[in-house]
Amino acid sequence: MENITSTIQAVPLNHYILLSAIIFTIGVIGVLVRRNAIIIFMSVELMLNAVNLLLAAFSSYSGDASGQVFVFFIMALAAAEVAVGLAIIVMVYRNTSSIDINILNRLKW
Amino acid sequence: MSAPVDYLPIIMQLLVALGFVALTMGITHLIGPKRKTTDVKLTAFESGIEVIGNARQPFSIKYFVVAILFVLFDVEVIFMYPWAVNFREFGLNGLIEMFIFMGTLLLGFIYVIKKKALEWD
Amino acid sequence: MSTLIVISILAIVVLYLGLFKAKQALLPISVLGLVAALALAIMEWNSNAAPIFSGMMHFDNFAVAFSSICIITTILVFLLSKNYFEKISDNVAEYYTLILFALSGIIVMVSYHNLSMLFVGLEIMSVSLYILAGIKRKDFASNEAALKYFLMGAFSTGFLLFGIALIYGASKSFDLAVIAQYVIDRPTGIDPIFYVGLVLMIVGLCFKVGAAPFHFWTPDVYEGAPTLITAFMSTVVKIAGFAAFLRLFSICFAPLQDFWMPTLLVITILTLFVGNITALYQTNFKRMLAFSSISHAGYMLFAIVALGAASTNAIFIYAAAYAVSSITAFAVLMLVKAKTGSENFEDFNGLAKSNPFLAFALTVAMLSFAGIPLTAGFIGKFFVFNAALAQYHTWLVAIAVVNAIIGVFYYFKVIVAMYFKDNQTKQIATPAYFNFVLGVSLIITLVLGIYPSFITNLF
Repeated sequence: MENITSTIQAVPLNHYILLSAIIFTIGVIGVLVRRNAIIIFMSVELMLNAVNLLLAAFSSYSGDASGQVFVFFIMALAAAEVAVGLAIIVMVYRNTSSIDINILNRLKW
Repeated sequence: MSAPVDYLPIIMQLLVALGFVALTMGITHLIGPKRKTTDVKLTAFESGIEVIGNARQPFSIKYFVVAILFVLFDVEVIFMYPWAVNFREFGLNGLIEMFIFMGTLLLGFIYVIKKKALEWD
Repeated sequence: MSTLIVISILAIVVLYLGLFKAKQALLPISVLGLVAALALAIMEWNSNAAPIFSGMMHFDNFAVAFSSICIITTILVFLLSKNYFEKISDNVAEYYTLILFALSGIIVMVSYHNLSMLFVGLEIMSVSLYILAGIKRKDFASNEAALKYFLMGAFSTGFLLFGIALIYGASKSFDLAVIAQYVIDRPTGIDPIFYVGLVLMIVGLCFKVGAAPFHFWTPDVYEGAPTLITAFMSTVVKIAGFAAFLRLFSICFAPLQDFWMPTLLVITILTLFVGNITALYQTNFKRMLAFSSISHAGYMLFAIVALGAASTNAIFIYAAAYAVSSITAFAVLMLVKAKTGSENFEDFNGLAKSNPFLAFALTVAMLSFAGIPLTAGFIGKFFVFNAALAQYHTWLVAIAVVNAIIGVFYYFKVIVAMYFKDNQTKQIATPAYFNFVLGVSLIITLVLGIYPSFITNLF
């Protein structure tokens, strides 16, 4: 455990924050510009994983395990979200034969 | 603590892996039996009905349910790692709590079976 | 705490009852279980509970009050659901179960004492709601609502989590008390990433409660989802979102008010105007309710902007008034829709002649929404504005009053349609359950409006 901690700390904390912020931003941009529901979904997962990385780094730097436990919660709930999300996407695909979110415009003001 | 030389094993492993792939492919090519093939022989059924359509079709949606359920139950195992590491400190209470957790998952699994979500037909 | 356990076990019991084909028992058992949970929650009032589960949850009076109101509203929704789910699908037990699971998530959300429980509660609620929104598998609008809700919900969860991670990075803990202490200990020189985390958490929570400019999913999802689920989402879920919002800000971030107040102020004003002005142009009653729920989110944000001792009380009263009125509106909408097949304002024409009681109940609900005196909505608005005035946000209250007046226009559209437009429709048969729910909501609305004193001094 000490070994892993020191390995993580070999990289400055700011680098982790920047890397996570970049990955998170890539995820956000992916959600905003892509039109395919699956790819939007993957971008969301990217956002969540950026958070996981950040939490693990913070946790290691502050010597507090609760951040890593939080990562477990995020993983488990992300899996639940994947299950429900893919089921919804499959349901939409069965009815429309498409997963392009541009078809989702029947409800409008 | 991490000089460039420390990464040498990784490069070695990379080389070995690549070398193994190249070597096996080369050797099988050299020593394997050779056949003269024609286009006809390469079709899936040489003598039979013509092949229709592409093999890359969407696979059965039933597989999706199994896969999703696998992911769900699989991921829950991560909660057992920290529990197992601290097993002694948690003592009997920890054991009971983990049993409650697994019991809840088991109830979900029984529900899945009862709903016949795992039956293929 | 026992409330949470009772509701979770109840959900599993109901699920298994469905497996063993005991469909008749589903509704009574759900309602009885919820009544028991409600009783257990109320028993913990003023018990001065300490944080439990290693500081994860804290059932203080705040939690008890908001759990109770959520449970009561859920019971009302359940009473309306008699014979409703059977019509739209075969898997009836699952709907009860999912609503109960969502409710258990909500209980966690209103009683968290650790940011990880905020996240877990929010996700338990959201994941159940994604499925509930898409209950009508063959209906395209329902599918679309589910997919939109899911993508937007997951997106906003990302923001919330990044905010939590940054706040953890600065304060080194997820515990609300520790974070509050961190803020208090450093009048100056709080780590900049803490502020970034705070802003990201505001974004994530505003997504969840449907405040402008993060409200785009709300009307579509509310319109597409089955009416009863919409009723659940626009009452219980919204109240829970605000309870979580308020809990976080009043415990942790109150000293930083100068920093987040301007941001939230802009969001509040935008929410009020967007909700009210768009609601004016709607012809679909359900969609009008969706936009009006955005504007009500604006009024509730008011109390958070003017964070102070009176905020909790103001939001509680507003939420109670809003919940009962919404339930009435959705109940009448369900009956009208079952009769006419659509949800437009014209379908309400002549309702006063054919069903005087329905029309009266809906009128009182609309008056309460609009904030006319002698209804609960007036008391709610009064307390929210009072909280804002106490902090000298005079012009903010002026803007809110202008919005309340705009609101009167579209709420009166329905009343005008019911009383002054003629339509030869036959009487709508109202089941006894509906009459019961409408009667209870009516009584609560009027009693709160006339004698508010027994709810106004809770905190």
